[in-house]
Amino acid sequence: MNSSTMRGLKAERKKARHRKVWLVPLGFLFFEVIWMLWQLSSIKEEERITGYLMLFYQLPIMNTILLPAMISVIASRLCDMEIKGDTLKLLYTLQRPSSFFDCKFITGIKYLLCFTIGHGILIPAAGQIFHFGSPLKVSMLAAYLAVMLCTGMILSAIQQTLSLMSNSQIMPLATGLAGSFLGLFSLFFPAPAARLIIWGYFAAFPCVKMNWDRTTKITEFYEVPFPLSGFFIFTVTGILIFIICRTIAVKKEV
Amino acid sequence: MSSVIMTDSLTKQYGEKAVVNKLDLKVPSGSIYGFLGPNGAGKSTTLKLLLGLIKPTEGHMKLLGREVNTENRLAILSQTGSLIESPAYYGHLSGKENLRIICTLKDVPFKEIDKVLEIVRMTKQQNKKVSKYSLGMKQRLGLAAALLGAPKLLLLDEPTNGLDPAGIQEMRELICSLPEQYGMSVVVSSHLLSEIDQMATHAGIIDHGQLIFQDSLSSLHEHSKSRIILHTDNDSEALKILKQLNIPAIRKDGSLLLKVQQDALVAKTIASLVRGGIGILRVYEQQMSLEDIFLHLTGKQVSL
Repeated sequence: MNSSTMRGLKAERKKARHRKVWLVPLGFLFFEVIWMLWQLSSIKEEERITGYLMLFYQLPIMNTILLPAMISVIASRLCDMEIKGDTLKLLYTLQRPSSFFDCKFITGIKYLLCFTIGHGILIPAAGQIFHFGSPLKVSMLAAYLAVMLCTGMILSAIQQTLSLMSNSQIMPLATGLAGSFLGLFSLFFPAPAARLIIWGYFAAFPCVKMNWDRTTKITEFYEVPFPLSGFFIFTVTGILIFIICRTIAVKKEV
Repeated sequence: MSSVIMTDSLTKQYGEKAVVNKLDLKVPSGSIYGFLGPNGAGKSTTLKLLLGLIKPTEGHMKLLGREVNTENRLAILSQTGSLIESPAYYGHLSGKENLRIICTLKDVPFKEIDKVLEIVRMTKQQNKKVSKYSLGMKQRLGLAAALLGAPKLLLLDEPTNGLDPAGIQEMRELICSLPEQYGMSVVVSSHLLSEIDQMATHAGIIDHGQLIFQDSLSSLHEHSKSRIILHTDNDSEALKILKQLNIPAIRKDGSLLLKVQQDALVAKTIASLVRGGIGILRVYEQQMSLEDIFLHLTGKQVSL
């Protein structure tokens, strides 16, 4: 990382003072803790054996609902100050527009990363507190966190671009909220259509699937291999989306 | 005298319309260059082109003696300060915190903040949130940000816009002091002729994207041809006599305006009027104002 990027990142840290952006991922994490406590407090003894599998099945769906909104709020908090203060015409004389975009992106990802680490702590903690019968598979946890972080990063790039391109933050925030609903609905779409909905990708690479028996009314969670090749293609597509977003934002005349 | 800004056929087109059209700017070092033109003439676009905020359609430019390109743009701009259109600021931060951000990006030590705050006379308000600042204070903060790093060149776009009369006067004094005290060259754009007249040493006039005048302010004043203003006790009768004498004259604002310069002709005209029984109340010479010069150069009225 060169010195101008380091200066850009330092400047971003200074800009974020008093914005209380930390409260956004903390608030969403708190909500998920409450949801987990509610879910797990009613768990039956025989279900504890598949406790982790249940979490790895349900949490991606929760992420599909919550994370698009959270990411849009974070991007909006970080970009709104630039739009309101009309600062781009000053900043672009001090740093390259692409460097500004990257520094802003990294700053936003910092919050997403903390949220992801929060999940990395919460899941094993839940297993300990509620005495799950089977051990936590680290590979499964890593895959879950990787999908969450990667999808979140792609959405961050999109939301940041929208926030920087819009004079009002209503449209980017509305896009985030609409993305939450669309992502959730996409889980019920046919696979080719669901692939087009970026917001639904939090739950698109499952390590766990569910089988619900209509007659016995028993829910069974079972492990499936992580679709590594699909995730790799998604990651490459994500890099392309980031480059497109950055190009659009950089080309904006100030 | 060397030039801090030199452009060669600088052009910016949006579609078919050339907002800046083959501009050849030449800003002498150590000068206050008044960049004058009516609203929409292309002043802000030119300044943005100079700062690399927008890309020229064609043409070249040299800033501080160096040809500007994508590679060296930021290195050259590190020796310049700018205040384009409205001031840029982070409202949720204090004035000092805003300047700290600029210091970080410019790689300038924080100790310079106190110095620039003193220059713009904002030491007392430095810890107040910028969202609570008046427009004048925001403008001065913007100037303080531009002054960080002791730039050799300052580009100020309508810096007195929206300021009250006291603020305008203060900003003018501040700008005027910069070349002498800190060795800076200043480009200041305005649509107000009177403002440029009070600040600038050199002037460039832009209209419809084209530079229609560029030279020292004194040279601009030389363009002003003097006129003789005549107050009589009977303007209608006096006008008749002047017509008979083939002296170009018009009635304007309760007086007669004579377009003659030669002393002998003035004396002869007055004598003829007196002989014609016209009472001469007052005779005086009036220089053409900058507004009139602008009108003469562009053929259209400009706001005052």
